[in-house]
Amino acid sequence: MNNDRNSSFGRAALPAVLGALLLPAAGAAPRPDVSAKDWAPPNGRIGYVLWHEVSWGLRETPNKEECPNGFNIGPREQFAELYPKDGKKRTLEETQLKREAEIWMPNTSPDEFPFHEATGKYAIGVNLDGKVSPEDFESDDGRKGIDNQLFRVVGCIRNYRLEGELGIITTKWRAQKPFNRVTFELTGVDSIRNDPDVTVSYYRTLDNLLAGPTGNYLPGGSQRVDAKWGKRFMATAKGRIVDGVLETEPFKQLLVPEDGMGDPAINIFKSAQLRLKLTPESAEGVLAGFLDVEQWYYAMNTSWATHHAAYGQASAASMYKALRRLADGYPDPETGENTAISGAMDIKLVQVYVIHPEQQ
Amino acid sequence: MGREEQHDLEPFQRDPCLINKNLIMSLVSLCLAAGSLPASADSSVTFPWPDIPHVPEQYEPVPMPPGFKVVVTGQEGPVFADHRGHTLYTWPVRQLRNGPVGERKGQPSCDATKYTVNSGLMSPYPPGFELPEVATRPSCIDVWNIVVAPKDAKPVGKWTIVQRKDGISQWAYDGYALYTSVLDTQPGEVNGGHSGPSGEVGVRRPVEAPSMVPPQFQVATNLAGRMLMTSDNYSVYASRNDKPDKSNCTAKCLEEWKPIVAPAYAKPRGEFGIIERSAGIRQWTFRKQPLYTHIGEPFAKMYGADSPGWYNVFTQYTPKPPADFTVQASPTGLVLADRNGKTVYMFNCADDALDQLACDHPDSPQVYRFTVCGGGDPKQCLKRFPYVIAAKDAKSDNLLWTTMWIDPMTGKKAKAGQAGALHVWAYRGRPVYTHYRDKAPGDMTADQWGEFYGYRNGYKAFWLRSDFGRGG
Repeated sequence: MNNDRNSSFGRAALPAVLGALLLPAAGAAPRPDVSAKDWAPPNGRIGYVLWHEVSWGLRETPNKEECPNGFNIGPREQFAELYPKDGKKRTLEETQLKREAEIWMPNTSPDEFPFHEATGKYAIGVNLDGKVSPEDFESDDGRKGIDNQLFRVVGCIRNYRLEGELGIITTKWRAQKPFNRVTFELTGVDSIRNDPDVTVSYYRTLDNLLAGPTGNYLPGGSQRVDAKWGKRFMATAKGRIVDGVLETEPFKQLLVPEDGMGDPAINIFKSAQLRLKLTPESAEGVLAGFLDVEQWYYAMNTSWATHHAAYGQASAASMYKALRRLADGYPDPETGENTAISGAMDIKLVQVYVIHPEQQ
Repeated sequence: MGREEQHDLEPFQRDPCLINKNLIMSLVSLCLAAGSLPASADSSVTFPWPDIPHVPEQYEPVPMPPGFKVVVTGQEGPVFADHRGHTLYTWPVRQLRNGPVGERKGQPSCDATKYTVNSGLMSPYPPGFELPEVATRPSCIDVWNIVVAPKDAKPVGKWTIVQRKDGISQWAYDGYALYTSVLDTQPGEVNGGHSGPSGEVGVRRPVEAPSMVPPQFQVATNLAGRMLMTSDNYSVYASRNDKPDKSNCTAKCLEEWKPIVAPAYAKPRGEFGIIERSAGIRQWTFRKQPLYTHIGEPFAKMYGADSPGWYNVFTQYTPKPPADFTVQASPTGLVLADRNGKTVYMFNCADDALDQLACDHPDSPQVYRFTVCGGGDPKQCLKRFPYVIAAKDAKSDNLLWTTMWIDPMTGKKAKAGQAGALHVWAYRGRPVYTHYRDKAPGDMTADQWGEFYGYRNGYKAFWLRSDFGRGG
């Protein structure tokens, strides 16, 4: 069922809005010479809507070198190990309900099962803290100090890899589910190649993506800002474009909606930074930040029941212990325990015109 | 029975076709004139319940066997009931992850079996584990009373008689065997049912009596009331700019709003009338309000209510929640909240035995709820999912919202004033809760909390309008 706020809403007003913005006719993307180095969007304004979350910052290698100990086992396998079919009588309370209790009231006691963290020199992400520490990674393009401890948690769990449920389904949901629609808008852009001072705004937006005939998503669509239910998503940060790559200063926090198997959840990126390679028609790169551990964990569980998590061998109870063990940011002022974990979302976006409430 | 005689009957017994027309006219005027009530500091939040007198939904007078009646309930609208006015339920078969549960037409399976182990229908968990409180676990027919057909019973319309394996003749409706719930103690209660979508559960449903709506319409139940929809599932709207039986939506207005046109053969029926907009163009009205759909709106949505002066049409509203509750805007839509703006959650639970008995009310085993709210620890549950407390003298004027005394350490009912007991608000006979991780009004961090997205053993937010999720 596609229950999006259909883009036919506000259609009548759209040409006037676009005209006012001195943009080409509705549905047509700006058609600059993409090889030009100094192209600037009309009025210094360009939007990009998120359509593809490739992964939670996983750098997968063909030989699975990042998982030298193999993949982790999931809820079904853990249950079978704990409660084998040995003829012994057991109660629901000491089996199924005990396992569910460990999901919904997780703890940091030692895991009953070995947990295989992803390892290696390289990872996707951003140097969030400006430091180069032993636990940090290096990016494929040689940037040091990449903070992405979430990669260690989820890198060897099949669900989070491209072959897993998330890899297969989440991207589809990102494109299809209206709750998940978010758009970045750059303003004050004098050049899409180099501009030391741009403003990046973030919105939850309402419209269907402009889809091509082969399931791809096309530039030139429009996205109306959700000013009714989406106020809490709005955020702004400064950024700069260097050689066609946008880097932002930290957003205080970005709320990233995550509608999985039913009703929606939200992930919270603290000190969020974007690093996106820009073209007039698309953007690609990472959204990085410190993810609030509790929020990330419960958003995962309210989006993925044990049944579905079991498909991808994702044991929530084991993941929680790893999340807390590897958390590396935002220490609790009272306990000193870190409440957030560095991570990145590997993303793709396509150009859109952003329609603000006063233009709708 | 005439209008005067109707006064001698309980409201649920009155023929809805004979509701005082003056009341309808007052209602129409109020509906068309009144704005929605603000309920939150957020100006985008509108209170779903208008300040108008309650008018129950009308239903079609269908033939029934002797001893049955229709009761208009506050939540589910008109339902069939037994001679006491107790709601009738069926348990239609549903396919769960690992197999079907429920009853097929003509084949009642709710019996005296006392199941002792789980069925393994709840993937990924296997069957064969002893159920909680197994020594006192009731059988299906201990909590679902068979609606017994007398020896001389004769089928009437969709009402038939099925033979059970235990030899009892049982009434059935549309082929499905009929039961009443031990949780219902008075006419109009629907405590045996389940609020909202059923999810991965084989739930029982009240048997709806057919609404008196023309074939172009249907009625959908949500937590705000019984909302009028077109038969192809688009929301129906009315405008405060219209007058009784007079549409003022012309010219530019028609670019956004489409009058619902009555075909030439259609006739007024019940509270549905027909006005002639222009020569040969006839428009449906409901309680004299001209009816429209919102052009371009996806089906089953309520976006049109965001346009000033326009509102969704309800055949009846659920009773207003007590004054201890508010309505808040969340990232998904409108949600019920406590007086501090914290989102209110309902707990859903059905056990994983073949008879799928409810475990979501205080008379049922609490170990399920304790599992997901506090890892099995009632003290943690009290911190993480506190009850919505009611003042000791709090009273409700309807059957849906009630108060009860609860012992939070057992989760079960307590005597009034018992040491440690809490006086709490309940909806449909189940306490309602807030959640410790919700900090600001509209936060909804515990929606879908628990097994199978909060449907099987867990919490769902009290959605009044959900633009994005499944809750609305």
